[in-house]
Amino acid sequence: MKNLSAIKRYIYNCRKCGACVGKVTGRVPYVCPVREATPGFEHFSARGKIIIAQGVLEGSIKPSQTLADAAYSCTLCGNCMLQCGAIDQETGKPLVDTTQIIEALRADLLETYPDLIDHSYKKVLTLTRAYDNPWGVPRATKGKWAAALGLKDAQKERAPVLLFAGCTVASNLSLTDRAQKAASILKHAGVDFAVLGRDEPCCGSVQKRIGEFGLARSMMEKNISLFNATGCDTIVTLCAGCYSMLNNDYQADAAHAKLRPRVLHFVEFLEKLIRQQNLSFCRAKSLTIAYHDPCHLGRHMGVYDPPREILRNLPGVKLVEQAATRENTLCCGAGGGMRLFADGACAVDIGLRAIESARHAGAEALATACPFCELNLNAAAQRLDSLLPVYDIIDLVADSLKIPK
Amino acid sequence: MSLIYAQDFIAALSDIVGAQYVTADPIAAFPYRYDASIFGGTAAAVVVRPGSTEEVSQILARANTAKVPVVIRGGGASIYGQPRGVPEKNVLLDLTRMNRVIRINHDSMTVTAQCGIIMGKLQSACKKAGFYIFSPFAPLHIVSLGGWMSGAAGSAGLWPDIVSITVVLADGTVVKTGGGPGTNIHQPVNFNRNLGGPDFTGLFIGDGGSFGVKTEATVRITKFPPVLRATIFEFDTLEKTLELVKRHVERVNPHPFDPVMVFGPGAMKHFMPDFGEITNFTVQGMMQGHTAAEMDVKRDIFNALADELGGTRTPVLDAMAEAMAAAGGAESEMTMDWLALFNALGLTAWLPFTLPREGFCQIYYQLLDWRTKRLEEAAKKGFVCHGTWEFFTPSDASTLIGEMDAFFQDTEDPAVVDFARNMMQDFQIYAHQLGSIDVYNQGLMADLNARYWSPGFRTLFQSIKASLDPNNILNPGLWTPLNNC
Repeated sequence: MKNLSAIKRYIYNCRKCGACVGKVTGRVPYVCPVREATPGFEHFSARGKIIIAQGVLEGSIKPSQTLADAAYSCTLCGNCMLQCGAIDQETGKPLVDTTQIIEALRADLLETYPDLIDHSYKKVLTLTRAYDNPWGVPRATKGKWAAALGLKDAQKERAPVLLFAGCTVASNLSLTDRAQKAASILKHAGVDFAVLGRDEPCCGSVQKRIGEFGLARSMMEKNISLFNATGCDTIVTLCAGCYSMLNNDYQADAAHAKLRPRVLHFVEFLEKLIRQQNLSFCRAKSLTIAYHDPCHLGRHMGVYDPPREILRNLPGVKLVEQAATRENTLCCGAGGGMRLFADGACAVDIGLRAIESARHAGAEALATACPFCELNLNAAAQRLDSLLPVYDIIDLVADSLKIPK
Repeated sequence: MSLIYAQDFIAALSDIVGAQYVTADPIAAFPYRYDASIFGGTAAAVVVRPGSTEEVSQILARANTAKVPVVIRGGGASIYGQPRGVPEKNVLLDLTRMNRVIRINHDSMTVTAQCGIIMGKLQSACKKAGFYIFSPFAPLHIVSLGGWMSGAAGSAGLWPDIVSITVVLADGTVVKTGGGPGTNIHQPVNFNRNLGGPDFTGLFIGDGGSFGVKTEATVRITKFPPVLRATIFEFDTLEKTLELVKRHVERVNPHPFDPVMVFGPGAMKHFMPDFGEITNFTVQGMMQGHTAAEMDVKRDIFNALADELGGTRTPVLDAMAEAMAAAGGAESEMTMDWLALFNALGLTAWLPFTLPREGFCQIYYQLLDWRTKRLEEAAKKGFVCHGTWEFFTPSDASTLIGEMDAFFQDTEDPAVVDFARNMMQDFQIYAHQLGSIDVYNQGLMADLNARYWSPGFRTLFQSIKASLDPNNILNPGLWTPLNNC
């Protein structure tokens, strides 16, 4: 259990008080989205999972299917860490990093008891090894979105900005236009940028969250060389998962070279463009919108204001806040590989609550900045027969600009 | 799956609550072996998550017939551990699914809720309706209503405000205590603690869940106090500090919205690490209410009392009081989640005490000496004690309740955990011998409290227990060894 051993301080820092199980305030309707969408036994809560991790580490319990299910039924949203509130006074970091505990538990299970791991996770890893992305989409298909746009190839021409679409946007037909719109917005603002097209690699986030640390690390090392070689100053990601991976995990886990370019999420870059008056909007669409903070952008990385500033700048858009917002935002349900758990049913159940929250705030639409959130929230809205559309901010921005087709 | 109970027993439980809310899986049951304490939770063969009084009633009727031990769990927030029951044979009722607010009665100013609700959720619901439950000094975000009533309500706060409890007895009988439908079948509303018969509500408060399973409760609420004032004084002696507490309590007795808290030098170091050497006691008076003018007057009166006794204010203390006042008010969640601060300090050896005001000073210093000696012992063993904490407050006109905790840094070392565990236990034995009676009626502390019962009290307890739970299925062994009940 080398991975659990490596982070055991987090396990033993937990006082098992239960703040991560039952805390409710006016701004926190619940802490754990998984516990909320399941029968709610302790092993579905963060405290229960930490206790199980301790049991595995100390050898007092033997891994079983139920244990693996406990480990994998977590969105890694980080709300438990936030609501726990126990902070290292010197570093300002959580004393009980639940996401690291869960990932380490998964990693040890995957290494030691691979038979217990659901085939859907193994399939993702097999596809990654075969196609270099978790969706199993051939490189040529994945790079198609950029092919017809005449964009700079980052491996051939130097540009200060590298637009990184990410596998989920580039591989899903329903999302590929998001990358095209992002490119159009950058062009419209006069940004000198390039893309990697069919050579764009997977960042390794999904693989790390599933617990395949070795694979994720090898992807990371390869990617750092590739990104550094482009000579870009800034990588702009469209996906909150990629953003968190490149910023957090690449800095913490990379053994050799460090990633040189800074990494921004598209909303941060866009907000800067708006502030510098490189973008002006003219098409007004009267819409009351709530913003859903993706966990990997908000809670994990602290990016709350830029997306809101963008929405406030869009003509006709009225931004409303949900009761649980910013760091307290309800997880959409898609993180941590939850769309692979129990055929995705639990993920969608979690998403229902986020949709209800937006409707309760009086929103006519929900905006987000992560393709995983968008996919899962849309699935939840469909399950509810909800008329609440879910947009990526890129859609709204592109619609408000006069961009020639 | 558990081999302890036959499948038909598990199936019967599943029929009652739904199959998804019953588990005999050892991994699913494993986390219940732990709780917020270092004394541990409950080893269970089966865990059930009932959703209603009716379901609890059917489960108990079935368990009673089969003479199966039933252990009850709320938020798992006890600092002294959970009932052990009969390890490996227990059916554990995890009541946290019973978390609904049933009714906020604006006319009678009461709230009725299921007992598995976490107090923070209850407080939040009340606040949305403009009300407030008085329950200070508890980390509301982790404690369940039922757990609070069973385990700790005998101290500050909620205790006098509990109007009625719905209790399921061991044989499945459902009882509503208090003046209302329980004592007059024509009255649908619980509105008074003690009308039409004995105070049976009190019977079930602090029973540790031994007399019945609490499933619903009606609690008095007050209008939410949106204005908070605070004032802080230093005193050079404990005697003067206590005199201020006495004079304040004589005036307010103590009104729920006039808490006064005394911190020892160790505690103040946590609040003001850069303040230099602190040797004094610090008294924080808080005034919560509805208008600024009213609260300003109250603060002025408190300040005058403190001035008379030679208390001093400093700019740092004034700034701190201002910050406290600003943190209150209409936006405040009043959830008291200061527990995070404690959790960040390391492994806590909780050392609580409850004493009458009479003779308090002498015993306080004896307890403090005991702690000092034990910490010296820890240091000799090479254990790092991260800090200490001294605090007490009047919970009613005659009672002072407090803690003098210690925090150990190396939370991974089993020897440190053992030391802290023994320290907590030995402290309680010593404190009891000095007359302290602990407010917690949970886990280890129930056993410790019971060691100091008089023969008459013990006989009464055993008679009631035998009458209400003749097969001794509810939290067996919690108060006294199994063969004594």
